[in-house]
Amino acid sequence: MSEPPPERAVETALSEALQRLPERRAPARLVRGVEDVLATAPARRSRWRRVLVPALAAAAVVLVATPVVVSQRNAVSRAATATMVSEAIGDHLRIVQAQRPLEIESGDGHRVRPWFEGRLEFSPVVTFGGDAEVPLRGGALAWFLDRKAAVFVYGLRLHTVTLFVFRPEGLPWPGGHDVHRSSARGFTVVMWRAHGLGYALVSDADPGEVQALAARFGGA
Amino acid sequence: MHEELAREALGHVDALYRLARYLTRADADAEDLVQETYARAVAGASGYMPGTNLKAWLFRILRNTFISTYRRRRASPEVSGLEVADAPATEEWLRDDLELDRLRKIVAEEIEAALMSLSEDARTVVLLDLEDLSEVEMAAVLECPVGTVKSRLARARAALRRRLRDYAR
Repeated sequence: MSEPPPERAVETALSEALQRLPERRAPARLVRGVEDVLATAPARRSRWRRVLVPALAAAAVVLVATPVVVSQRNAVSRAATATMVSEAIGDHLRIVQAQRPLEIESGDGHRVRPWFEGRLEFSPVVTFGGDAEVPLRGGALAWFLDRKAAVFVYGLRLHTVTLFVFRPEGLPWPGGHDVHRSSARGFTVVMWRAHGLGYALVSDADPGEVQALAARFGGA
Repeated sequence: MHEELAREALGHVDALYRLARYLTRADADAEDLVQETYARAVAGASGYMPGTNLKAWLFRILRNTFISTYRRRRASPEVSGLEVADAPATEEWLRDDLELDRLRKIVAEEIEAALMSLSEDARTVVLLDLEDLSEVEMAAVLECPVGTVKSRLARARAALRRRLRDYAR
């Protein structure tokens, strides 16, 4: 009777078996799509850098270079804005379309806000906890771009209003402004910075109502 | 994201697709997930720390995107966590040299099927290990302590061995 194989031999055999997993390569159309993604924002940014540095040097001698710099900066700003707005709308839709209930369902802001304690590395500051017209439905955790966000979900008649609260550091904040309003795909997105945090309010309700609601949150 | 970084990021598309496919279990969803991952990486490029493992950073974005997007879609989400309920009745099979023979003869489709039968968390940690990420890098991807990575990986591999043993019967 042979000696039982040592545990290490079995583990090695398992590792070797895993190396035999079928080789799956990304389809060509996916590679092309990723190339497109990488070619848009980064190319603009690097092009902006390439243009800006010599433009600034030239501006010291010829002030006429200034409009070129402004034009490039505006292009970068527009791209950043589009990314942020698209992300906010996408995240809003994921909340609206989710088949699972919200992680905390409550109309009481004093219950929802503490629920995030320990779940985020910041404390979401929300100055409007809902009322009869715009009731708070609850909250959830989500991702906004590459970071965790607190989500507060409100109702406005038959519409859903989603407020994302997240850390703003390192984000290509739209235009460098404190408040940015935008409309896309039938949604209104208001983004602002306050209390050292970033906010994005999204809804398909009337744009005027969404903006008025943003003001109640401090996004005036 | 600099052009050089973008080129390096593109070089990881196959690895990201593999993980995405094992997470979503569907080719189309995997493609969407990878595309979304790169879009988020571009938008959040300033969050990448130069000199760190770019692939690990991309994996973290992919996993987070999967959690926030695809898991939420499921009406009956898969129970997360590692399978510990079906522990072997005895330790006998662990020491059985037949297991060694079986593992050496196992074919690609069998190991893939066994992997797919594991829980989402177990699949992820096994696949990250296959991508040669260090335990520290895996911990960053999974957003958990290194000790948790070690225990998860050990349990996931044990579960995988049990699955493969069952297939071989």
